[in-house]
Amino acid sequence: MPEPIIELQGVYRDFKKGREVVPVLQDINFAINKLEFLCLVGESGCGKTTTGKIICGLLPPSSGTIHFEGQDIATLRGAEKRRHRRNVQIIHQDPYASLNPTQTVSEMLGYPLLAHRLVNGRRGTDSRVKELLDLVDLTPVEDFIDKYPHQLSGGQRQRVSIARALTTEPSVIVADESVSMVDVSIRIGLLQMMMDLRDRLNVTIVFITHDLALAKYFAWDGRIGVMYLGRLVEIGATQQIIAAPQHPYTKVLLSAIPEPDPQKTRSKQHIQLRSEDIPRLTELPPGCSFHPRCPWYVPGACDVAVPQLAQPAQSLVDTKVACVPLERGDKLVLHDS
Amino acid sequence: MSDLSPETVLRVDDLSIVYRTDRGDVRATNNVSFDLKRGEAMALIGESGSGKTTISLALIRKLPKNAVVTNGHILYQHKNKVQDVLGLSRRQLRGFRWNDCAMVFQGAQNAFNPVLKIRKQFEDTARAHGWTDKDAIRKRALSLLELVRLDPERVYESFPHELSGGMKQRTLLALGVLLNPQVVILDEPTTALDILTQRAIIDVLNDMQRQLLFSIIFISHDLSLAAEMADTVATVYAGEIVEIGGVDDIFYRSLHPYTYGLLTSVPTLDHAQDVLQSIPGSPPNLIAPPSGCKFHPRCSFASDQCQVEGPLLELGRETHLAACWHKDRLLASRKEVV
Amino acid sequence: MLNDQQPLATNRQLPATNMSLMAAQLYDSLLKIYRNYTVRVFLQAIITIWAVMTLTFVLVRLMPGNPVDVLVEQILTNEGISYQEAYERVAASFNIDSDATPLDQYFQWLGDLLRLDLGISITSPGTKVIDEIARFLPWTVFAVGSGLLISFVLGIFAGMPMAYYRGSKLDHILSFFSSFSTGVPNYIWGLLIIIVPGIAWRWFDIGALRGTYDAGLTPGLNAEFILSALEHAALPVFTYVIAILGTWMLSMKSSTTGVLNEDYVNVAEARGLKERTVISSYVGRNAALPLFTQLTISIGFVLSSGVVVEEIFVYWGIGHHLFQSITVRDYTSLQGVVLLLTAAIVFSNLFADLTYGLLDPRVRVSGEK
Ligand SMILES: Nc1ncnc2c1ncn2[C@@H]1O[C@H](COP(=O)(O)OP(=O)(O)OP(=O)(O)O)[C@@H](O)[C@H]1O
Ligand SMILES: Nc1ncnc2c1ncn2[C@@H]1O[C@H](COP(=O)(O)OP(=O)(O)OP(=O)(O)O)[C@@H](O)[C@H]1O
Ligand code: SF4
Ligand code: SF4
Ligand SMILES: [Mg+2]
Ligand SMILES: [Mg+2]
Repeated sequence: MPEPIIELQGVYRDFKKGREVVPVLQDINFAINKLEFLCLVGESGCGKTTTGKIICGLLPPSSGTIHFEGQDIATLRGAEKRRHRRNVQIIHQDPYASLNPTQTVSEMLGYPLLAHRLVNGRRGTDSRVKELLDLVDLTPVEDFIDKYPHQLSGGQRQRVSIARALTTEPSVIVADESVSMVDVSIRIGLLQMMMDLRDRLNVTIVFITHDLALAKYFAWDGRIGVMYLGRLVEIGATQQIIAAPQHPYTKVLLSAIPEPDPQKTRSKQHIQLRSEDIPRLTELPPGCSFHPRCPWYVPGACDVAVPQLAQPAQSLVDTKVACVPLERGDKLVLHDS
Repeated sequence: MSDLSPETVLRVDDLSIVYRTDRGDVRATNNVSFDLKRGEAMALIGESGSGKTTISLALIRKLPKNAVVTNGHILYQHKNKVQDVLGLSRRQLRGFRWNDCAMVFQGAQNAFNPVLKIRKQFEDTARAHGWTDKDAIRKRALSLLELVRLDPERVYESFPHELSGGMKQRTLLALGVLLNPQVVILDEPTTALDILTQRAIIDVLNDMQRQLLFSIIFISHDLSLAAEMADTVATVYAGEIVEIGGVDDIFYRSLHPYTYGLLTSVPTLDHAQDVLQSIPGSPPNLIAPPSGCKFHPRCSFASDQCQVEGPLLELGRETHLAACWHKDRLLASRKEVV
Repeated sequence: MLNDQQPLATNRQLPATNMSLMAAQLYDSLLKIYRNYTVRVFLQAIITIWAVMTLTFVLVRLMPGNPVDVLVEQILTNEGISYQEAYERVAASFNIDSDATPLDQYFQWLGDLLRLDLGISITSPGTKVIDEIARFLPWTVFAVGSGLLISFVLGIFAGMPMAYYRGSKLDHILSFFSSFSTGVPNYIWGLLIIIVPGIAWRWFDIGALRGTYDAGLTPGLNAEFILSALEHAALPVFTYVIAILGTWMLSMKSSTTGVLNEDYVNVAEARGLKERTVISSYVGRNAALPLFTQLTISIGFVLSSGVVVEEIFVYWGIGHHLFQSITVRDYTSLQGVVLLLTAAIVFSNLFADLTYGLLDPRVRVSGEK
């Protein structure tokens, strides 16, 4: 029985933008199980980073609750609140990561250790810093300890930011990969290291990306959650989602992505959207937000009811989707327009 | 000089480029040679900083001021006339740009002048190349905007900020082929676009190329895009082309350890678990690159010879070339795996 | 959404809360008006002006001496009559109610102001402050306006090559000049011009250039008058140009440098556009855009910073008038001029804000929405 470490219930988040209120997240419900590999995917602006920040308590939800180890984090105060902050860390995976250019690697890792009183004295700090660098495969440690960020390559900098997140011995790490992160070989190296960390440190890792193939690699034994315009539209076991996606948006996405195999990618069938325009968050269509583009759209149903994330009727797998016809147990029928 | 076969549009011959900087010369392009055929789509792939953009900027002579071409030729052939691109006068160069060779830059989101309507920018381009009839320009522009699946009338009269990222990118593609160029260079044409928008752009590009028959050089870090669109793929490492060949040769029968390393680090959407391996180490410093084969510090097949002597790009199989001393070792290791 | 609809629906069933409903609606519509951008910035402008005026009202009265004392002093030194006599004469000739407390004066003045009545000059009774302003202001507007426009145009044309040839000798020379021009205040420039070419080299006769046109000419559209007016304005205008030019050059240089790095300029060159087109429609146009805003903003500042320059050249504009009013402690005239200058600064900012959209299509659209 999976044991949830973090649980989001009915989470909404709005942002004020000038005079407009932008609903960035709407009715997000899911749990992160202890030590599972969970991946959130979706296109730019769908709310992945916002979800990540809410999980970490860096951003309060506009409404809804977040439970960490069974406790509502909104009720945490003082020492408990600090403990939660330490326990759930976020890493922005940006090649131009937010490392202080005037600090050496050992200072960058040493200060938080001392600030949180996680080590004793100089010797304790030094040995812990070395341990951390070893964990993120920056070896031989001596080569890196006195370097400044500009003396490190993009990949090495990212390892330092991961090491920094590890200083507080978190039980959950949210790794948010930015789109600008381009080099495939660096990405894979980092992912493999993070996957190892789970086993070595017992830390649950939530990986945020826009790349479904990367999500599949990371969460092969775990789960993927697909987001679209501020809502979670499908969540389930990775292998299920890749082999048999159920939500129309996931289907379209999978069919659209080119693959690194000339014959396979050229013979791939692409599902045509009804429209290529992406609605603005401030002018979301009624009912299912995907309906103006969805090839399986059912007029009179999809544009009326907002579908709820649930296991479809008669479904044999425990994937949950938010889609009106599936919710009713109907088969999807391609809409001809 | 002009032993060019009639199908060759562009020949890059032994091109070397350095950037002069305070810290020393950055050797961003080293003895690069390739031929681009009429109607061919060639992909340049490689890690960030390997020199892909530098090569393409040289083709339209749009290199930054501190760049110096230290060696080589670029020949362009059109209607049986061969031009030496590096030797063009200022006026000839202005005519060559866009009319013969158009380039869609990396990060094209700001490619349009924000204070001018799209119409004006199409007109400026056409007029600079001798078109005078506004209606003719309009007709051509609208038909191209339609080809890239946009609402032509509306887009033509829009300001750039009124278009979404994907629409801008498609408009730029339409503008790129306005003058019917023989070569279109695309630097990261889909990076930073949504997956579904990327798909639309790829489809549009394929359509356009089928109809207008131009040649494409496109640069991408995304191997999947190369797999989908390219006829020929060239792998760039540390400013050199280390392998070049047909798309199937490169993807299924690669001869260079670096190309192979790239391929084994790309996740797929197959219904099976991926076994991936990243390339160890990091890209070399181009001011003081490693001796011999520049890939040797990261290569698992490297021998003593590799540290001393740089391998030349040589024929491996028919039209498939690779620069590696130990092509056989890679092949042998792959047989074992299979 | 929720907040809007639910409370209203419940309110409708309870007639007793009609009043509060109306109040809520009134509050709502006021809020809506306040949310209107134009209305809001306008209100803010008015409040700023009121605050400055109140401060001026207090400050002028804190100045040592009052209008009566100042003139009495003068008469005493000149005519040798008794203090009592002098005082009575001055008080009688002045338009001042010495019994009114400052607070009374303040409200009186504020009330007049609301009716757009700036009051009557204290030291020359019978002359309306507004008429005095109308007499002096056009000259200032003429001189400052020409100075601004000439320096603006020159600055744009000099700033672009500085950016194009950054680091070259040309850039170094022009940059040096710009910093010099910006660093030295306009009144120092004015003094320099009077002392060096005027007094030392005798290129022109400063004395003859007092005032805004030669005495004896009738203002009108005749060549003699126009030439004379131009001649008299030449030195102040030149001073403004020299003093502001550097700012425009540096702004244009930095703006152009930014634009030159923009992708669209690169793409325009790759499109094979004529160099002329790229320089004017792609670089120049975008680079000058932010400067137009700066131009509108600077109108107010230059109006007020010209005060001393006018005094130096004895150019009879609003600045000269301001000086006169200070010397004789003419509170009402002083307040009138300060009001004018404040309003000029505040409204030129406001104007810049509201018109930026007309020039930049990006703002134009979001402004409409
Ligand atoms: N602080 C904020 N104020 C206003 N809007 C915001 C704020 N943060 C995020 N947004 C908006 O919320 C939406 C979702 O943003 P978010 O960063 O969560 O997306 P994302 O899925 O992480 O996208 P990406 O893949 O580009 O990182 C976007 O439209 C964004 O503009
Ligand atoms: N103007 C310049 N001055 C000095 N060095 C430069 C300049 N432009 C590029 N370089 C260097 O030249 C090398 C090649 O750069 P280039 O932009 O061609 O790489 P790229 O393969 O296009 O990389 P990316 O995938 O990141 O776009 C890099 O090491 C880069 O740092
Ligand atoms: S609810 Fe309707 S429109 Fe939305 S995804 Fe399902 S089928 Fe498509
Ligand atoms: S030449 Fe040597 S080092 Fe270079 S790729 Fe081949 S085996 Fe590796
Ligand atoms: Mg994000
Ligand atoms: Mg590049």
